[in-house]
Amino acid sequence: MFLQQLVNGLTLGSTYSLLALGFTLVLGLLKMLNIAHGDVFMFGAFLGLSFAMLGMPLYLALILAMVGAGVVTIIIERLCFRPLRKAHFLMPLLSTIAFGIVLQNVATQIWGSEPSRYPQTTEIAQFQLGPVLVSSIDVIILATSILLMVGIDQFVRRTSFGRAMRATSEKPQTASLLGVNINWVIIFTFFVSGALAGVAGVLTALVYLQITPFIGIRQGLIGMVAMVIGGIGNVRGAMIGGLMIGIIEIMNDAYFTAGYRDIILFGLFLAFIVFKPEGLFGTKER
Amino acid sequence: MLEIAHISKHFGGLKALEEITFHVKEKQIYGLIGPNGSGKTTLFNLITGFLPATVGSIQFLGNELTGLKAHKIAKLGIARTFQNIRLFGTMTVKENVLVAQNIRARSGVTSLVQLFSAKERGFEEEADDLLRRMGLWEKRKEQSLSLAYGEQRRLEIARALALEPKLLLLDEPAAGMNEAETEDLLDRISEIRNMGKTVFLIEHDMNVVMGICDYISVLNFGELIAQGTPDEIQASEAVIEAYLGREEE
Amino acid sequence: MSVYTQGVVALMGVNILMALSVYAIVMADQVSLGNAGFMAIGAYTSAYLSVKLGMPIFPALIIGALAASFIGLLVGVPLLRLEGLYFVMGTFGFGEVVRSFFMNFEPTGGAYGFRGPVGATLPIIYGWVLVLIVLFWLLSRSRLGRSLDALRDDAEVASSIGLNVTLLKLGVFWLGSFTAGIAGGLYAHYMFYIESGNFHILVSAMAILCVILGGMYTFWGALLGGVIFSILPEVLRFMGGWRLSVYGSVLVLMMIFRPSGIISRQMVRNAEEWVGEIFRKASS
Repeated sequence: MFLQQLVNGLTLGSTYSLLALGFTLVLGLLKMLNIAHGDVFMFGAFLGLSFAMLGMPLYLALILAMVGAGVVTIIIERLCFRPLRKAHFLMPLLSTIAFGIVLQNVATQIWGSEPSRYPQTTEIAQFQLGPVLVSSIDVIILATSILLMVGIDQFVRRTSFGRAMRATSEKPQTASLLGVNINWVIIFTFFVSGALAGVAGVLTALVYLQITPFIGIRQGLIGMVAMVIGGIGNVRGAMIGGLMIGIIEIMNDAYFTAGYRDIILFGLFLAFIVFKPEGLFGTKER
Repeated sequence: MLEIAHISKHFGGLKALEEITFHVKEKQIYGLIGPNGSGKTTLFNLITGFLPATVGSIQFLGNELTGLKAHKIAKLGIARTFQNIRLFGTMTVKENVLVAQNIRARSGVTSLVQLFSAKERGFEEEADDLLRRMGLWEKRKEQSLSLAYGEQRRLEIARALALEPKLLLLDEPAAGMNEAETEDLLDRISEIRNMGKTVFLIEHDMNVVMGICDYISVLNFGELIAQGTPDEIQASEAVIEAYLGREEE
Repeated sequence: MSVYTQGVVALMGVNILMALSVYAIVMADQVSLGNAGFMAIGAYTSAYLSVKLGMPIFPALIIGALAASFIGLLVGVPLLRLEGLYFVMGTFGFGEVVRSFFMNFEPTGGAYGFRGPVGATLPIIYGWVLVLIVLFWLLSRSRLGRSLDALRDDAEVASSIGLNVTLLKLGVFWLGSFTAGIAGGLYAHYMFYIESGNFHILVSAMAILCVILGGMYTFWGALLGGVIFSILPEVLRFMGGWRLSVYGSVLVLMMIFRPSGIISRQMVRNAEEWVGEIFRKASS
């Protein structure tokens, strides 16, 4: 039973990890929070839904949702971040709040505010791994998440573009002088961040099977919690933070009351922000 | 009046200041010079509580300044200006001066109902007075940033004086000024001393430093390489070496 | 006035107060995404006092707001040490903790909500709005207000002229949480029924958007923003469901082209000059 919950927690947690990763990439790069990130997640979920409704197989719907979410995030960069570079540093954050509202409204208009059911696109097989029951959906979610996370981690650490990203995040002027095209790095990072949110959206929808335009708010917040606990700006921290949060959430629901879930999660969040803002794996710079 | 004792400031591995010891006497005009990057502004930042000292102590009229917050240090009677002029850009000229009086006027919650009291009018007159003496009264209703550079500097000094400090720290007050403005500045600094205040200034302009300072300390790479009267400093080997090959205004 | 219009006007009063509560904190150069939490504390506390203990509405509101502002101080002390972004995150963490707390808190109904508080008539709501507007007006012209302007302009320089920046930030945080507490109490006593979902983070977000729209550098901005935001759904009825998108898009564009909002500081200055002139001419 415990192992079952653990697996469920890891599955859910990996979607949070993807969200947290998206948050942390942008935050680490531009030192600013994209509050609309949760709504991009929601949008990605709906895009996946639409593509699946059109009869596409899951993997294609996933990829298209990723791209769509990435594009939306680039729009956010263009409207909420780039023109406000010289303004007060909290302005982009406020602008993304407004943009998030727009995304929610657009989604409500297109798909309605009533819950939408996710269509069955793949055969759900169940495997028995010892005492644990794992469905093919769980496998897909875990596999996709791990693949993406490891991929991004390696990309940021090993490739020259990854180095460019880190350089831009630490010292943008120096990076620019050294020939790094800052704008491209930023656009690319935003795209990846959005794509991750989109994937997380589709995968989460596969878990819960129905979505509304308002899931982004809570999921976004939880993603932020995972990011903070793992360590802001830290790719591995985001991954581990997400998994931890998923496990905590599932365990809470299994052994406590579901009602306490949010208090525990946000209480943890608050505690970390106040006492250990660098998270578990971040570096203490503030 | 101001005792700097064994002050060191390290930023990680970087030694910005190392074993600085000297003192400023009351009613002196004290100068701090040195090549760029020698740590002069860092020292000011330590004195005014903007940065914590790594080692050492700074005593002002018997009070230990290291470890105190900036606003407490201001309340003890130290005011400063900045190398790159930092006025309150959203306020008018007069407002910049008025807000500096808050340290002495009623400026807590009670100030909400103090708008028309006699005391307020007193402070207003004081501000007008100060602006007149600084030649800024005509422009008192202008936005502070619309002033010419030289006027902005005078405003920053006026704002510092509005605190009625005992010690005035001026960080490169003559920077960017032409000859006439510099002459004017020298007169004003003398006036400030005549008001009974002590002036401690950082400067690159040697005319200003040699012209008006009673005593000078010279920094180079964070270390105190010489102290003395203007004549002594001008004759000092160490100082000449430090400045060799460097452009000075 | 029809019952429907009455409802819009009443909620407009609450929105204005929430916008002012955000503006209070903005005066010290901080943004709080958690004022819905203070609203909730004010709402539940005052509702409990009036329904379960029979207290009349006026003291219930005050105590509710004092409770909110007391929590504000408790939370403010650790939070205000954090810099801008972390402070924002801390505030919405707080707001969410409060919301989920009330979702589970049995004495005030838990997930079923709380029923019963009455008594917030339009005159009472707008009486409070007026009181707070006067308070903010006095603040804007006082030395304390100027200290806050200095803080916002350049906090380091402000402390170098002797201003206790930490105390100022705590003070406005108290004011903001108090105002939000009043807004919550009035909301509860108008709506007759409250539940934790009413104090969602979106409520905090909307209050911030009011301030951005109306003008971030003057309390008149919060007032205008609150009015516009409340009336907009009615005026833009013809746009149907797309109203919020229009609103959000306007805000995004506004941040790019007129970030200080509709009412700028200069406009207020000019208006004050103008009014001053009229008084002078009238009395001479």
